[in-house]
Amino acid sequence: MQYRPILLVEDNAADEELTMRAFSKSNIVNQIAVAHDGAEALEHLFGDGSARRPLPGLILLDLKLPKVDGFEVLRRIRAHERTRLIPVVILTSSRQEEDVLAGYQGGANAYVRKPVNFADFSHAARTLDMFWLLLNELPPNVISPAASATPSAARGT
Amino acid sequence: MVQLPLAGVGARGDLATAASLLSAIVNSSDDAIVGKTLDGLVTSWNPAAERMYGYSADEIVGRPVTVLCSPGRAAEVTEILARIGRGERVLHHETVRQRKDGTVFPVSVTISPVYDERGELIGASSIARDITEQQRAEAELRRRTADLERANRNLESFTYSVSHDLRAPLRELNGFSAALLEDCGDSLGETGRGYAGHITAASDQMAELIDDLLDLSRVSRAAMHLQVVDLGAEAAIIAAELQRSEPDRRVTFTVQQPACVRADPRLIRTVLQNLLENAWKFTSRHDRASIEFGTMPAEDGRTCYYVRDDGAGFDPAYAGKLFSPFQRLHSAREFPGTGIGLASVHQIVERHGGRAWAESAVEAGATFYFTLDAEETPCSTGPSCS
Repeated sequence: MQYRPILLVEDNAADEELTMRAFSKSNIVNQIAVAHDGAEALEHLFGDGSARRPLPGLILLDLKLPKVDGFEVLRRIRAHERTRLIPVVILTSSRQEEDVLAGYQGGANAYVRKPVNFADFSHAARTLDMFWLLLNELPPNVISPAASATPSAARGT
Repeated sequence: MVQLPLAGVGARGDLATAASLLSAIVNSSDDAIVGKTLDGLVTSWNPAAERMYGYSADEIVGRPVTVLCSPGRAAEVTEILARIGRGERVLHHETVRQRKDGTVFPVSVTISPVYDERGELIGASSIARDITEQQRAEAELRRRTADLERANRNLESFTYSVSHDLRAPLRELNGFSAALLEDCGDSLGETGRGYAGHITAASDQMAELIDDLLDLSRVSRAAMHLQVVDLGAEAAIIAAELQRSEPDRRVTFTVQQPACVRADPRLIRTVLQNLLENAWKFTSRHDRASIEFGTMPAEDGRTCYYVRDDGAGFDPAYAGKLFSPFQRLHSAREFPGTGIGLASVHQIVERHGGRAWAESAVEAGATFYFTLDAEETPCSTGPSCS
């Protein structure tokens, strides 16, 4: 069982609350960190103190974000040695073809459109967690980077 | 005045006839045809030149052709005459000229050398066309193209914004009304729970509407990539999918195969999908149903494709409304739907240069027809139809 934290990059407070609710309904025990815009996501991953934090085992990335948009965050994640293998799932409202294409071209591992229906949304959150953090094997450098990782059942931001 | 080399003309009489014929051509031309010596003196002047520049032949013949140049452009003509003097022909070039009244206008000019009977270079002849109107039309076309491009870009960003921003509040309406039901359902009472249920249902429906609108906008904007498509084979695939989706229904599909045509495969699949799904939906109240895809000759000699069912049908009085977005001839309670499917069909068929129409009577089934502009393609030559 891997208890890698999840990094949720989401600017909309209500969406964040719903996503948290969906995760909690799904009994997801991974710690979830939230970045409220692209700049915060980059700070979390690369800023001061980021080396002491465990790397997220999954990044859920919205596209339309204030300051630095999701595509740029993805580009920086993929460009950086330490983060380039972390699974990134784009979790966004749109399914515009250009977004889906640009997402995969930028190296996203998956593209999930947030369903409007909450039951479907919860199901999507559960499925994402089940697949990416339980079923899927993470790349070795994500599991054991230099920093120590403490399994934690703590929730919230 | 006009010197022209006449090939193959022998007798003097023939020569005179040919010369008067050519002179008639020059005189009736809409282009200004002007002869000049190599040092730039006007030697001939046709009526179109008079209309264009405002000088009569009497006024201009013998004067330097540079009076026709707009200020500062005289050197241009001198340089061209020097090139003619070296035996060159100066093909179409665009420049500006000046009328007698001083107004300046754009012209397209060709200048050629003129030889006498002995083959000696004696001057030049220019044919000039006033391109004011043409340039105005070109500018207008550029302006309209720019307007269209701007409108398209606005539509793109509008669509992008709809797809990103309009769904988020709906997700919240849906999510928090579900949360309300779950966390506070007991204290809401039955009426309150009913209201929350309505919020959930309405947000679900609006999400569906937004998706359908985005789909409609996609089919009207998507780039077309024409290739050979076997509509029969596509219809058979869709029919099999529909039967798998509700295996208990007893529906007989009759699909004519092959039916090849040049079309955008993705868009034309959307047409078939919408028509066959409609047929499937509107026969759902019947124990047994038949759905048919086939082709027949249309009145204009083109091939007409049709999807026919023996389901609920519709009142032909409203047939005109069918292909407009959000128009529904049945209530959502009778048959679910948003009214976008046939609007998409209409858009796609029009983009293929064809048209779509329907025939029906209540409880007598419905037939949806469409034509496509692209010529029919023998199936044996189609790579996807072998």
